[in-house]
Amino acid sequence: MNNIALGRYMPLNSVVHRMDPRAKIMILLFLMIAVFIPAGVWGYVLLSLFILLALFLSKLQLSFALRAMKPMIWMMVFLLVINVLVIKTGTLWFELGWFSIYSDAIYQTLYIVVRLTLMIIMTTILTASTKPLDLTLGIEKLLKPFDKIGLPSHIIAMMISIALRFIPTLIEETQRIMNAQASRGVDMENGTIKEKVMAILSLIVPLFVSSFDRADQLANAMEARGYNPMQERTRYKVLKMTGIDYVGLLASIALLGLCVVLAVVL
Amino acid sequence: MSIKIHQLEHVYNQNTPFSHAALKGIDLEIPEGKVTAIIGQTGSGKSTLVQHLNGLLIPTAGTLDICGYHIQPLLKIKDVKQLRKEVGLVFQFPEYQLFEETIEKDIAFGPKNFGVEEGEASQLVRDILPVVGLDESYLDRSPFELSGGQKRRVAIAGILVLDPKVLVLDEPTAGLDPQGAKEMMTLFMRLNREQNKTVLLVTHDMEHVMNYCDHVIVLDHGVVKQKSDVKTFFEHPEWIVNIGINPPSIIRLKMRLKEAGFDIPDEIIDEEGLLKCIKRQVKIHE
Repeated sequence: MNNIALGRYMPLNSVVHRMDPRAKIMILLFLMIAVFIPAGVWGYVLLSLFILLALFLSKLQLSFALRAMKPMIWMMVFLLVINVLVIKTGTLWFELGWFSIYSDAIYQTLYIVVRLTLMIIMTTILTASTKPLDLTLGIEKLLKPFDKIGLPSHIIAMMISIALRFIPTLIEETQRIMNAQASRGVDMENGTIKEKVMAILSLIVPLFVSSFDRADQLANAMEARGYNPMQERTRYKVLKMTGIDYVGLLASIALLGLCVVLAVVL
Repeated sequence: MSIKIHQLEHVYNQNTPFSHAALKGIDLEIPEGKVTAIIGQTGSGKSTLVQHLNGLLIPTAGTLDICGYHIQPLLKIKDVKQLRKEVGLVFQFPEYQLFEETIEKDIAFGPKNFGVEEGEASQLVRDILPVVGLDESYLDRSPFELSGGQKRRVAIAGILVLDPKVLVLDEPTAGLDPQGAKEMMTLFMRLNREQNKTVLLVTHDMEHVMNYCDHVIVLDHGVVKQKSDVKTFFEHPEWIVNIGINPPSIIRLKMRLKEAGFDIPDEIIDEEGLLKCIKRQVKIHE
């Protein structure tokens, strides 16, 4: 449970950590779009280089970013199997009776794997280098212009920050309930299907009950302090863009442009 | 058979940047049939230690002998599953582990996990309800409509129904009113006296340690700072103050009296003795 790398903040002191969260979110957005542009092999090489540079600058270990991939491995294997069975174009690489593998199936899978890997690494860099509260502050500021068309940016940001805030609490709670039920003889790993369903039920129900309790208490606590979502609020922390933020933004926009050009030319 | 702990160590997230040693070489012998208190500040390793007692955690070094089980590093959880029947662990706020539709089903959940048949389990539930001070009218009610204190009784019944030889209680009275807390402690004391169960009590409440326990173990940053019987322990109030815990009120009173110039021997730690001592000295002064 403690090994979840996805979305965990790593307290390091690096250029990327010091960047403005708004800039980092925008860079992530540009890169995300770039990843989905079919810019061919060179496009992905360029993107990979850029992302590896960001990883290096953020002082994070590559293994840390890759650990976030672990849950995805099964999905990728599944994808490979489906693609091999379904896609029957390109050159024939392998044939054994009814079973055959075509080049396009492998390429397709490879593209998806590369895209997923890049996306996970960049998202990991963002969440590992930005405190959750800074992240939501960034999102709130970026959504601010949409207030005019009735999008409640502050409420959305508050919802995100509450959700983020309670992730560790929920993990802890889950661990606690699992321990308590294990003490009553629940075995989460072994047993028949019926036993496993019971085991999961014995975890989910208490988790729901305590989450609703907590939500209730939180709502009361916020109201007791006069929280009003419609009110204009001031911040202790004021975001400020600096040189490095503009450099990062320009670089990512340039990269996105390059990918578009590559895609059009090819 | 007593519980023997030898050079027990536990490191969380070993071999990662988050590695953290919670227990650093614990040597203990916990006597059978007694009530032993485990005290220490938050983060001292109390919870980690008690989770070893029923095999929820396996030590990263050292050994543990309990109820005929020899627990050592790299043991598989499967091998110790039956130990959980022998050592009942009641976590803090156990009412949060209730999940079934009826109280009967919830209490019977534990025995069924250990392979007890439906009918027998239902009989066990009927036997255990009066022990925790509830009657049969509760059987078909939902655990979620009870009050906090009643919920806790049901949750504790869910552990007691397994008839463990060792009962480990993590802050069993947290969040209860004084009356509820007293009833809860009386229940555990009765189990200890009448069924000779070994009771381990993790607590912050020094009054409980003084009134109910036979032995005290003090943990501090993952090591055993102090182990003694209760009487010796409270004869040395400086031990308690040193680990940042507030002594029981009677000991605080004694310390204040000593400061004020009263001469009170170390071995007096009860109300009556203190009273006699004060009277005698006041008389001398008159």
